[in-house]
Amino acid sequence: MCDEAPEKKVEISRPVMSKNDRIASDNRRLLEEKRIYALNLISSPGAGKTTVLESMARYFGRRMAVIEGDVQTRRDAERIERAGCQAWQIETGGACHLDAQAVSHALGHMDLESSELDLLAIENVGNLICPSGYDLGEDMRIGLLSVPEGDDKVLKYPSLFSSVHVLLINKMDLVEHLDFDVDRAIEECRSLNPEVEVFTVSARTGEGMEEFCGFVETSMG
Amino acid sequence: MHEMSLAQDMTRIIGDALGRKVRLERVNITVGPLSGICGESLSFCFTEIAKMEGFGEPELVIRKTEARLVCLECGGEYTAADFYQGCPDCGSIARRILSGREFTVDSVEIDEGEDRDV
Repeated sequence: MCDEAPEKKVEISRPVMSKNDRIASDNRRLLEEKRIYALNLISSPGAGKTTVLESMARYFGRRMAVIEGDVQTRRDAERIERAGCQAWQIETGGACHLDAQAVSHALGHMDLESSELDLLAIENVGNLICPSGYDLGEDMRIGLLSVPEGDDKVLKYPSLFSSVHVLLINKMDLVEHLDFDVDRAIEECRSLNPEVEVFTVSARTGEGMEEFCGFVETSMG
Repeated sequence: MHEMSLAQDMTRIIGDALGRKVRLERVNITVGPLSGICGESLSFCFTEIAKMEGFGEPELVIRKTEARLVCLECGGEYTAADFYQGCPDCGSIARRILSGREFTVDSVEIDEGEDRDV
């Protein structure tokens, strides 16, 4: 704030994220109308987001559709289609996160009319920083952390882990070979985010996935 | 995070508010400590984007706020400059966030010598 008011000062007072937030609200309204519950799945690259979704596809079947966000390639969408769900790939072409506009565009191309469909999972671009700032219109935000990444990641990326509804710790089949302290990760996440729900799973072996999917199903109401 | 796309959002907001593109002397913004935004990186990106978008080379003035938090251990309310600052009374970092994620374009100052569309 300047002491001497310049003559040509123009007040703007607008949140920079207001456009994204407005489109996110439109997405939320559209999905509510169609009675579809939306998840935003955020993790670093290689934490197992697509494998988690493949495992969820076995539980939810055609009730679930997926939006895949990647910088390049349709690989993840093809994996989801092979698992039996409708998938739409967003190729961000370099952007490090999905925004509400990209999701709105994807929703415009997807078949949301199927009577079976009541769950939409949005797989964000692999990144623990940028996606945390963008509301996509989701009902549940899930932070996925895999044990090879280390138990110190929660406090290193507080912007994400303070904003998630669920902390999903993946690759638990490897935990005995690593020095990942599960209790520490959970405790640090709860300190930032007291209401967070935590599930430990191995999407590869299926361990813990039924409990997690059951929780999602209950939340869908 | 993604400062380049945030800088683009900022020039869009400024362009919409002014209704035209003019050379700017200064852009005043507010950034909360929990917004995840790196001020230095944003300044770097914004200078480039503003020039490309026809807003001259404005100085970006960042007003940094403090976060307001409520301690879940002792119930005290306190302010913090980042995510890691715990409660000054009991040291706990278990808290509820009241504010600190804000990121707004507050005002712009048009270049004195500028009174025409670019």
